[in-house]
Amino acid sequence: MYDARPVADDSEEAPVESPPEGDAEAAVPDVDALIERLRANVAERRAKGHYPPGLEAELDDHFRRIVAHRADAPFDMTLLRKHLAGVASTSHFGRHRIAMSTDIPGGDRLHRAVGKVVSRQVDGILQQVQEFATEVRGLLEALVAVVEDPGNHQHPGLVSQIDAVLDRLAAYERSPLDSEVAVRDLRARTEALEDAERRRQFQPTYGNERFEDKFRGPRDDVIERYRDLASLFRDCAPVVDIGCGRAEFLELLGQVPVEAWGVEIDPALVKAGLDAGLDVRLGDALSELAGASDDSLGGIALMQVIEHLTAQEVVDLVALAAAKVRRGGKVIIETVNPQSLYVYAHAFYLDPTHGTPVHPAYLKFLFEEHGFHEVELRWRSPVPDGDLLEVPPGASDVEADNARRINELVFAPQDYAVIATR
Amino acid sequence: MQFHQLLVTARPGDAITNAALELRKLLRRVGPSDIYAKNIHPELERDVHPMRAFVRRRSATPRDDVLLFHSSIGDPEVHSVVMGQPERLVLVYHNISPAEAFLDYDPGFAGMLEGGRRELAAMATRATMAIAVSDFNARELIDLRYHDVRVSPLIVDIAGRLTTTPDRKLSEELERGVGPLVLFVGQVLPHKRPDFLLQAFHLLSSFDRPDARLVIAGNLGLVRYAHCVMQLGRELSLDRLLFTGAITDSQLVALYRRADLFVTASEHEGFCVPLLEAMAFGVPIVARACAAVPDTVRDAGVVLPADGGPALMAEAMAEVAGDDGLAAALSARGRARVAAFEPERAKASFLTHLMEAV
Repeated sequence: MYDARPVADDSEEAPVESPPEGDAEAAVPDVDALIERLRANVAERRAKGHYPPGLEAELDDHFRRIVAHRADAPFDMTLLRKHLAGVASTSHFGRHRIAMSTDIPGGDRLHRAVGKVVSRQVDGILQQVQEFATEVRGLLEALVAVVEDPGNHQHPGLVSQIDAVLDRLAAYERSPLDSEVAVRDLRARTEALEDAERRRQFQPTYGNERFEDKFRGPRDDVIERYRDLASLFRDCAPVVDIGCGRAEFLELLGQVPVEAWGVEIDPALVKAGLDAGLDVRLGDALSELAGASDDSLGGIALMQVIEHLTAQEVVDLVALAAAKVRRGGKVIIETVNPQSLYVYAHAFYLDPTHGTPVHPAYLKFLFEEHGFHEVELRWRSPVPDGDLLEVPPGASDVEADNARRINELVFAPQDYAVIATR
Repeated sequence: MQFHQLLVTARPGDAITNAALELRKLLRRVGPSDIYAKNIHPELERDVHPMRAFVRRRSATPRDDVLLFHSSIGDPEVHSVVMGQPERLVLVYHNISPAEAFLDYDPGFAGMLEGGRRELAAMATRATMAIAVSDFNARELIDLRYHDVRVSPLIVDIAGRLTTTPDRKLSEELERGVGPLVLFVGQVLPHKRPDFLLQAFHLLSSFDRPDARLVIAGNLGLVRYAHCVMQLGRELSLDRLLFTGAITDSQLVALYRRADLFVTASEHEGFCVPLLEAMAFGVPIVARACAAVPDTVRDAGVVLPADGGPALMAEAMAEVAGDDGLAAALSARGRARVAAFEPERAKASFLTHLMEAV
């Protein structure tokens, strides 16, 4: 019979003394829920690699190895030499060491007589034993010498233990996220990612020069279109034309005349510019500006470039311009006008490398934020007259007003320029 | 009618010897009562009589007398006395440590434990009643076909512990140290798994609390095993680890008073007095759900699943050491749980059961 009447072992019936911190009792979390949370923490640490793989199993193996290799007491090696000395002092055999004396009356004489009779046999045996003992002694001396020399010791168990320790050390070196090894590894991975991103970028099979010839129009037309903007850089030397492309604007700057050079990311266009005798350098906008000394530039031109940049690059560009252009200098940016819906049907998506168009109000705001004291917007490239909606003869005032409003929204000028004076 | 107690070994500071001494006070209220043992520590020679004196003792009505035998290890000589005497037998079962834990370190001792288990089974038919100190122990006796099994908690003089003056030198030394003090109290024996505890402490100090300290307070029970555990501590570079070896009561109290956390990884306990002491001193407990541990602690500590590894235990230690609210709540629960083991109640329970046997 199992009497399940635990008289005292029942906390529900026990007169529970009021605990000293009774109010804390209520705050005790559910222990089961707590343990579940602790389990989840451990799983998360394993998943994140904070705990090296197999950590607990390795700790267990570690202890097992200690148990397996531990001797009860180390052997006293000095005993070897002591016993060897004992062997040396007792291994000279001879008939003279055999005692002849005895307590029996007349026994000594009897022993000597018997000894004489069997002396030949005794000597024969002693000689054989002596030969054997000499061999054994030599062997023991050699053995002791071998045992005493650590160079002769092989400890596979010990070696495997050291290997295991090195393995675990390697795991720790790999593991903590703030270790030098981990940071180096992380940097290498970031570089690989950046490299992959560069490769991912658009790489057309045609040349950019061919693209510009086809869609930006004949060189002479382009030159005429930008003459007004170029003239604004008078007295602004030196001027850097970023993303100079076929270098039409650079040529115009030469005509102003103002000292200027161009920066272009496409090596083929750089070569074309150099061949035409112009100062065109290979590079990208941000690196070129970052490399210039503060207040060293008189002007920066970006014609149809900014719409290729990311939002962050646009912000960085304006900040760099503010630092590098000296007071009184100018930054002129021409880009597509996102306020014209006509642009999306015609120019904007024609270029597959266009990112996001930049709103004129935003760009103006950016320059003002960076301390440019005068920021002007100019509308450019009006939509050809033939594309605008016409007001039919005899239309009412309302119809005429509607047509005007649609024209303003859909057929607003295709480009705008920001002229920011530092 | 007389009640006498028989132990294999009587030594000072031993939980079973202490329980027998407490019990004798109780039994002497009923009639003549003595304690006998095969092995007696010199300090206890005046309190405990040799076993042969029990065999030679003269009683008018030995069949009316009761022999309470405290079982915790095997001993053929003691067993034959128990089986051969005419007195009625009441077995007080403290549990026998598992033999397999000792095989690698002390095969002779493992043999004694294995023998103890065989002897325990053989006593099932001889015993009038069995009193187990925990539900866990009771379940084991029922499996061995004991027919009248009662549960009565171990009689522990917890008030005596609480009123002991802590050792001043040790208290000062502990106060000088910084960081949470993690305490284990118990002999350094394989089934108590101090090796597991060291692994958990290694993870705690490597990943969460480099400032934590671990004190392992107790006899180095089995020297060969203890050396292995200490070697593990050295190889894991646990420089904030202390093995006290044997300590005095006042040193033990100094440790309990300063400890932030009581942790045991033990896989076999018949009752585990240190758990009760930790609760009495308000030290929050982290333990594993093995043997009688869940019976003793119930919900007054973080009792982790038995299959959880050292990492889970490290996580639990970090949690309790880092959350004052949780620690205070567990401490309060522990103090409340201690009331269930109040020695006067334990004695009353024991006596009630015993009277039903006679």
